[in-house]
Amino acid sequence: MAQHQVNYLKDGGLPVALTTIDKVVNWGRSNSLWALTYGLACCGIEMMASGASRYDFDRFGTIFRASPRQAELMVVAGTLTKKHAEFIRRLYDQMTEPKWVISMGSCANTGGMFNTYATVQGVDRVIPVDLYLPGCAPRPETLQYAVLLLQQKIRRESASRAQKPKRLM
Amino acid sequence: MRAYTPKDDVQKKPYYTDRYWVAPQVAKSDVSADAVFAADLEAIKAKFEVLDAYIQVKQMVVVINAVDNFSVIELLKNELEYNQLSEMSAIDWLADEGKFEIFYQMLSMSKRKRLRIKCKIDEKESLSSVSSLFRSADWSEREMYDMFGVVVNNHPFMKRILMPDDWEGFPLRKTYPLQGDEFAQWYEVDKIFGKEAREIIGPENRDPARVDRYDTERFSRLGHEVPRGADISQGEPDTPLVYQEEGGVFLIQKFDAEKSVVISDRDR
Amino acid sequence: MQQANRLRPFFENITFDRDDNELILNFGPQHPSAHGQLRLMLHLQQEQITKAHPDIGYLHRGMEKMAENMIYNEFMPTTDRMDYIASSSNNYGFALAVEELIGLDVPRRAKVIRMMLLETNRLMSHLFWLATTALDIGAMTVFLFAFREREYLMDLIEDYCGARLTHAAIRIGGVPLDLPDNFIADLRKFLDKLPENIKDYEDLLDTNRIWLMRMENVGVISKEMALSWGCSGVMLRASGVEWDIRKEEPYELYDEVEFNVPVSDKGDNYARYKLYMAEMRESAKILYQAIDMYEGTGLELMAHAPQYISAPKIDIMTQNYSLMQHFVLVTQGMRPPVGEVYVATESPKGELGYYINSQGGAYPYRLKLRAPSFWHTGILTDLLPGHYIPDVVSIIGTTNIVFGEVDR
Repeated sequence: MAQHQVNYLKDGGLPVALTTIDKVVNWGRSNSLWALTYGLACCGIEMMASGASRYDFDRFGTIFRASPRQAELMVVAGTLTKKHAEFIRRLYDQMTEPKWVISMGSCANTGGMFNTYATVQGVDRVIPVDLYLPGCAPRPETLQYAVLLLQQKIRRESASRAQKPKRLM
Repeated sequence: MRAYTPKDDVQKKPYYTDRYWVAPQVAKSDVSADAVFAADLEAIKAKFEVLDAYIQVKQMVVVINAVDNFSVIELLKNELEYNQLSEMSAIDWLADEGKFEIFYQMLSMSKRKRLRIKCKIDEKESLSSVSSLFRSADWSEREMYDMFGVVVNNHPFMKRILMPDDWEGFPLRKTYPLQGDEFAQWYEVDKIFGKEAREIIGPENRDPARVDRYDTERFSRLGHEVPRGADISQGEPDTPLVYQEEGGVFLIQKFDAEKSVVISDRDR
Repeated sequence: MQQANRLRPFFENITFDRDDNELILNFGPQHPSAHGQLRLMLHLQQEQITKAHPDIGYLHRGMEKMAENMIYNEFMPTTDRMDYIASSSNNYGFALAVEELIGLDVPRRAKVIRMMLLETNRLMSHLFWLATTALDIGAMTVFLFAFREREYLMDLIEDYCGARLTHAAIRIGGVPLDLPDNFIADLRKFLDKLPENIKDYEDLLDTNRIWLMRMENVGVISKEMALSWGCSGVMLRASGVEWDIRKEEPYELYDEVEFNVPVSDKGDNYARYKLYMAEMRESAKILYQAIDMYEGTGLELMAHAPQYISAPKIDIMTQNYSLMQHFVLVTQGMRPPVGEVYVATESPKGELGYYINSQGGAYPYRLKLRAPSFWHTGILTDLLPGHYIPDVVSIIGTTNIVFGEVDR
């Protein structure tokens, strides 16, 4: 039987990796952001396009899920109306912690061009938002960039911090 | 005393009005110009009172009494081959004459003609439903009720359709402001968090160009750069403006078309 | 961790406490195969639907009210957000309605470009329809294939107007831009390949057992029902009524091009699917003819009507009067004559109509948007009873409803 002498501290072939729990957990979290299919209006079409061929969202570990219980990222893609507002809150509540929200497009950010009686002037009046994505409608590349930015954000924060409730405002 | 401004039409008005402007009219031609329409009009006139009839932009407009609406449309459907009700809705004339104008846009596929039936009703008056003739009127009448508050008799399911059931007010009336009344503006907050959360969440920002001068979290001011989140309520230092171009632009070179590559293949 | 709010717990969606074995199922408003924000209240006997109440309005943004507070040109980008799968056809419908109101005639080149945009949009819309419906039924490959082709078309549109989704590519009185250099060559390249692509989809779907079982004899709409519910477009033609507004009441240059109107008398999902495929081929045919027509047209893109339409940019930049007139039209808006008009166009979904009541002011007094999807959603009330739950998804799929349009 061959004898190998391995200097664990010198050679590159270590079977051990040293890291912090935070980094490992955040590495996992940030690279498997499963998004809830929350296409409300036009931006939802661009969200679909970014999941379809050519833009291929799966590269970033982002897979669209239809159930809030399996999702940790909510991409609010489109105009949120007053009639729909309670449902977005309801679905947000059903998502498991940790969870993040990207507000995609001008309508979701501020109400956008629809400065009318029926439109919620920004989803941040109802749910806490992590990232605002400008554009009407933002291109699929923009959404992918937003997810990359969100990954950076997740990696920066401590793994247990996300368990704390986010303030609405 | 404060000057009284009428509240029956709160819609936005163009800021510029020309007193001497006389608006031209879209030409109305006589119904006799078109044989098909003339025959249809005769058939309607034979049974019902027609207040006005003309052809405008290739379509006949027939104004009738509101009480006849069901029977006129029944006649159009069963005898005059108008087989589709493309659209119906109301127009708010409350400020001018206290009435709603209802229009029914009909289509005859065999004659390739479109016709518009119009009638006027008072604000509190109701109309009989045509949803037993055309199922499409089912939803149109609900929408009309939702948007104008025009109640329709004999309708199978007279409920709001576009706005939530607990909504107050009729949005397409001219008395309803574009950005909603107080109920509309707080609707989602009241419903989800309760009225007591109004103060925490704050009013909606309806001004798209709003800039808070003292908010250094979200806004920066050119010439007064301060760290993010700094308190500037006591004043802030001036940052002198320095332009990169003062000593000539050193980074930017002139574009050389010879040396550049034109990508012709879009699938590369 | 949840924050305190007033919403009740989530079990309310399903009601159990009934004596008659009836289950009330809530479908939506945020359901992956609802094609937007459709909410259906379904009364069920076991798996079979006995009653259906579509609940809409979850995307109602108050466009008609907005239009009453805007000048005509300002409203053009808002129409994009109606049927956002095919924005240009909405732009076009509005532009045509205002042009009819003020009696404008559009230069021939603008007409050709408009026709190209309309048909490209129709292709985009049908491809998107195919992709989403196939996805709902489980054909993931077709979804990916159809989106591939659609991206190509979006690139074309982007070359023309700079936007992928919300084009605002048509102006009242013409079009703002001429076609870019490579547009026609690229379009031709796409069209040459399109028949192969369509054949690919059909090879995958036409005889696919699952597809046939979900589509054939499901969601049968009779002729009377389609007419009574105000159906239009493919929904009407699949039920045996030959009515295409492009053919019957031709606008633009549709009377000069040659194309067929596919009709079927089956009225089921499969008939609708076949019609969409056939319409794609017809659109390609129209586009080929439009390419040929483009060559012989003059350079003018906007109608000449100083009272309503700004002069070309070169005049604005060089002539004082044109600049003043442009300034007035932008700040005060055009003032069409007093009157009313209803103009219907054949959008990819069906009859898209604009009713405009003008009182001679810069803002329309009343603007009613007649969106085809509104009635195509309404018909679910009568169509769904008798079907089973899985059929709901395929029926919603083939009605091709878009909620920007339903709720406006």
